[in-house]
Amino acid sequence: MTEPLPYDEPPHRFQPLNVAEEHPAPTARVHPDTERGWFRRLLPVLVAHRGTLAVSVALAIVSVSAQVAIPAVVRSAIDDAIDAGTRPLTPFILALLALTLTRGVLAFGYRYGLYSMAYRIDFDLRTLLYGHLNSLPYSFYDRIATGQIISRANSDIRSVQLYLAMAPLLSTSVVSFFIALGFMLSINVGLTLVSVAVLPGVYWVGVLLRNRLFPLSWIIQGRTAEIASLVEENVAGARVVRSFAAEEDQLNQLGAAAQRLRWAAVAAADNRARFGPIVENLPRLGAAGVVAYGGWLVTRDQLTLGSIAAFTSYIVLLQIPFRLFGFFLILGQRARASGERILELLDERSDLPEADDARPLLHPRGEVSCEGVRFGYGSGRDLLTDVSFTVDAGETVALVGATGSGKSTVTRLLPRFYDVREGSVRLDGLDVRDATLDSVRAAVATVTDEPMLFAASVADNIAYARPGAGRADIERAAQAAQAAEFIEALPRGYDTVIGEKGASLSGGQRQRLAIARALLADPAVLILDDATSAIDVAVEERIHRALDALLAGRTTVVVAHRLSTIALADRVLFLEEGRIAAEGTHAELMGTVPGYAEVLASAESGDENSDSGGAAVAGVHSPANRP
Amino acid sequence: MSFGPPAGSPFGAPGAGSALPFAGMPPELAERAEAILEREPEHPPPGLVFDQRPPDGRRLTLRRFLATHSGKVALAGVLVVIETLALQAGPFLTQQAIDRGMVPQRFDIVARMAAIYVGAVVVSTLVGAARVAWTARLGEQLMYQLRVRVFAHLQRLSLEYFTGEKAGVIMTRMTSDIDNLTALFQEGLVQMAVQGLTVVVISGVLVAYDPLMAAVTLLLVVPVLIGLTLWYRRASTRAYDDVRDTIAAVLSDLSEGIGGIRTVIANNRGRQNSVIHANLAGRHLAANRESARVGAIYGPSAESLGYLGQAVLLVLGATRIRSGQLEIGELFAFLLYLNLFFGPIQQLVQLYTTYQQGQASIRKLADLLDTPPAQVEAPDAVELPPVEGEVVFHDVTYGYEPDRAVLEHLNLAVRAGETLALVGPTGAGKTTLTKLVARFGDPQRGRVTVDGHDIAHVTFASLRRQVTGVPQEPFLFAGTIRDNLAFARSGASEAELQAAAHAVGLGELVDRLPEGLDTVIHERGVSLSAGERQLLALARAMVAAPRVLILDEATSNLDLRTEARIDAALDVALADRTALVIAHRLATARRADRIAVIDRPSPTEGARVIELGTHAELVAAGGRYAAMNELWERQSAGDAVAADPTEVGAVATAD
Repeated sequence: MTEPLPYDEPPHRFQPLNVAEEHPAPTARVHPDTERGWFRRLLPVLVAHRGTLAVSVALAIVSVSAQVAIPAVVRSAIDDAIDAGTRPLTPFILALLALTLTRGVLAFGYRYGLYSMAYRIDFDLRTLLYGHLNSLPYSFYDRIATGQIISRANSDIRSVQLYLAMAPLLSTSVVSFFIALGFMLSINVGLTLVSVAVLPGVYWVGVLLRNRLFPLSWIIQGRTAEIASLVEENVAGARVVRSFAAEEDQLNQLGAAAQRLRWAAVAAADNRARFGPIVENLPRLGAAGVVAYGGWLVTRDQLTLGSIAAFTSYIVLLQIPFRLFGFFLILGQRARASGERILELLDERSDLPEADDARPLLHPRGEVSCEGVRFGYGSGRDLLTDVSFTVDAGETVALVGATGSGKSTVTRLLPRFYDVREGSVRLDGLDVRDATLDSVRAAVATVTDEPMLFAASVADNIAYARPGAGRADIERAAQAAQAAEFIEALPRGYDTVIGEKGASLSGGQRQRLAIARALLADPAVLILDDATSAIDVAVEERIHRALDALLAGRTTVVVAHRLSTIALADRVLFLEEGRIAAEGTHAELMGTVPGYAEVLASAESGDENSDSGGAAVAGVHSPANRP
Repeated sequence: MSFGPPAGSPFGAPGAGSALPFAGMPPELAERAEAILEREPEHPPPGLVFDQRPPDGRRLTLRRFLATHSGKVALAGVLVVIETLALQAGPFLTQQAIDRGMVPQRFDIVARMAAIYVGAVVVSTLVGAARVAWTARLGEQLMYQLRVRVFAHLQRLSLEYFTGEKAGVIMTRMTSDIDNLTALFQEGLVQMAVQGLTVVVISGVLVAYDPLMAAVTLLLVVPVLIGLTLWYRRASTRAYDDVRDTIAAVLSDLSEGIGGIRTVIANNRGRQNSVIHANLAGRHLAANRESARVGAIYGPSAESLGYLGQAVLLVLGATRIRSGQLEIGELFAFLLYLNLFFGPIQQLVQLYTTYQQGQASIRKLADLLDTPPAQVEAPDAVELPPVEGEVVFHDVTYGYEPDRAVLEHLNLAVRAGETLALVGPTGAGKTTLTKLVARFGDPQRGRVTVDGHDIAHVTFASLRRQVTGVPQEPFLFAGTIRDNLAFARSGASEAELQAAAHAVGLGELVDRLPEGLDTVIHERGVSLSAGERQLLALARAMVAAPRVLILDEATSNLDLRTEARIDAALDVALADRTALVIAHRLATARRADRIAVIDRPSPTEGARVIELGTHAELVAAGGRYAAMNELWERQSAGDAVAADPTEVGAVATAD
């Protein structure tokens, strides 16, 4: 499995890519000046599509003008061709057809253009944010729950996109409002005032309606979900419900939840009942006003009949911006909050800067050394105070220590997931801070006790670090990790998809897949952090034998509790109070270091989890107060 | 970086706010939501009574369901008629004002018509408000009844319905099918009435004005509009399905990529993942653009059709007016009504889909409600009096399929108070046997008695209060530890809950947790270890304090220390009551007072008890159990050798 990797040229030498880009990546970035407002900072992303924007806006202005001209043409047709009969009807009809065609075709053009652009910006933001999230270090993810990031990356981008799609539509309706208003004023100022007098009410009542309706629809959504989860539990736990004869209890719980939902739904309906019909009927009141005042003007020959028709049509057109505006303000508020949150994420910087003259670790031998390392997570206390040790290339070393002594922490410093506070970590004598990050990480592979597998095929999971690896290599890695047998027994072998709808694997099977994954990555240094805790002893021994053959000349660092695992190491480093308290073979330490034997005994009986959670991860995993 | 608190529980279940696409209530709404919720009255307890027997009734149909509230439906109908007439009076009044007022220059008539117009607007506003409020109450009442009825029936269905695909079907019934009906009852039906009536009223008025012109306009415009809307409906549904599928792919990729970010970083996967994500986002972009295209075609096309209609009306109207067959005001009414005609027709096409979906859903729900319960409580079932716990299988034959008996002529007497271990090969019918005791199945032949009472003749509730099972995979409900314990008996006191937790060895854990019993355990109890979950399930069973406890021992691999804790808990839980334990481990079988070996005598026959006795007796007899025992002993000896001696020593000192 040591055939050269299909890496392409630097600078991506260590970031393999085995998939074609289907869509051009966004060219713009957000504005780096954090003093600016959210919209101005996001503006470059919008400006990148200025061509589409300019064409769409131009189409919109022409299209809207044609739309507003139509009632004017109808008015003249009625007055001059039908009522008075002074002019032929045909030119009016032709004009009407021409305007309709212009309006229709251009309306398609600008709507498609504007929405298309808004969706493209949605794409740009998603791509930018995802790329950025991939550049952030462990320390960032220790601080922030990933669930928060996921919901933020989704809903915040969506609300910005909604706002961006809405803004141009509102603008065109405002344009049409003013053109129409100009037409009307040129016909009759008084009648214009009568027609538009009620329209601010449309806006105002609409605001009242939404003020209560929006929170209510959230409440309804929450309560609907409440019922769904109650049902889900009763389906999944049906046997328990029956076993304890809890049917009536559960029925009443559902009844209570359904009552709560009903109350919220009726409250929302009452709110719609109170304001909805007013919003709908206010423009009709305007139309009645046009009949009254316009009729008075007509009877006094100060207005033509056609004008009444035109005004009635305009009222329908004029109310649109008033309806949209309130909604737009809410979207604007939300987009602002969302935009700021997106920017917050984009402003996060990695705290693992790469030196300007960083050089790639090209053919690492795997010699590892720590010198006077002091380290703690975030702003927390020092976990390691003075750790110094050297592991020769090709050596297998076990790290042993009490729970919380920082064994896993040490292993996280080797691939530079974190930077030390003091001292240095070196690979082949090169300080990891002076090497390119990618190359350091390619040199070190870590397997933990609860490895992350992805909802992809078994083969893709094994080839995670080397997408595009050949099937033969994947199978060899699986065999070495003693995983081939159970993989072949899966319904679709290596193509079986793992996860919710796919195969569920036991802890030991997952660990073996993770080991196969690390083997395929072909690292110079392999870290096994309690990586075989769920694998039985006999299988573990076979794995280590296979590792010996495969990783001949590679360095292995093992964090373990089991004596059988420790016994496989050439040398043991005993970690106590943040430093290496002793080192030697297992037998030597058992004889000379009293603390060592104690730690091994209590590790067996104590918390079966290693300290892999560590101080940093404890806050992230779950707030469930696990002791 | 500051992250706002997630939406709190007053808005629904924990985590309910995470329903995508918007996760969590925006903070600016949260305050208003609080204000609204302050006004929510205390709802009285629903006071629902659960009956094991389904109510006799005819099949659920939309009409029958509505007919149960025919009075309220009739009132809704009246409101709809008044509202629609008032709404559509405008163009007619305008026509009257023009032809009778403006043309003859009589302002008094113009003023009267305008006044009536204002009156109609007021009426349609008020009646519209009443109609919305009334139909919502009616619709929500119907939904409430339906939810309760379907949920109650779920509690009667055989447990087979709750596994695998069937469980998914049940979830769909209670979620998307109910949602479809909500859409229908809240607005769908009443909108169909309003819009349908609008179309009829407008057509009627137009025909009254001028039948020829009405016919020409309607025939020109309506078919095109319907065709266009049908096209739009199909195309937009397809486009939205695509949008939904692609965003789901984007989100699951996002959640995997970020959820597993440490692995991504460690494996230098960032670039590969970013391109994959961009490709998924790109497919979402393409789907979004297609939906934009469909919408951008439909909106302007329908609008243009309206303008073309106006042109036709002007041409026709001009000739009809010249020939004196039409008043100019009537032409106005035609123009105005034409505009009012579009919305209802477009809506009716959409609503028809809602209606079809609602009908399909109500059929599916009716099918579910027609599914007979697996075990029917006898009409004359009596309460099972407090029992000692003697369980006897009398010549029981049982099978899931008629021709394949799982158990055949099985006889077994479990003495009151003893612990009986059931052992036997996988699939021999051990689990089936225990199911029959709590009546999760009825024997085809023979009977099961508890203290001599045939369990087929007692009520489910009284039986299951005294005969309780702890399944292999403990199922915990979302909520607190207390909720889960009290689930077994809602009236249990604090002391009883604490006692149960301590008895199984969870006391230390509960005492350590800052919120004690009120600690929320995560969905499906993921934040508890497998062992702790089993202990909690055991404690729950103890709260129920059954006379007969059925225990299906977990087969999953637990570490030695956890096994020791569970063994200790079992010692407590099984004392003083009859226990039927499906044993997978030697230690559990040994602990039992007696052991029954269950197996099929031959592949074609159902299982029966082939050996019965104490551990010592059966080992001495040298039969099946003795062989199994030997195998077990060899295995555990092998484990002990392979594992380290300190490991065994450590277990002995654990706890």
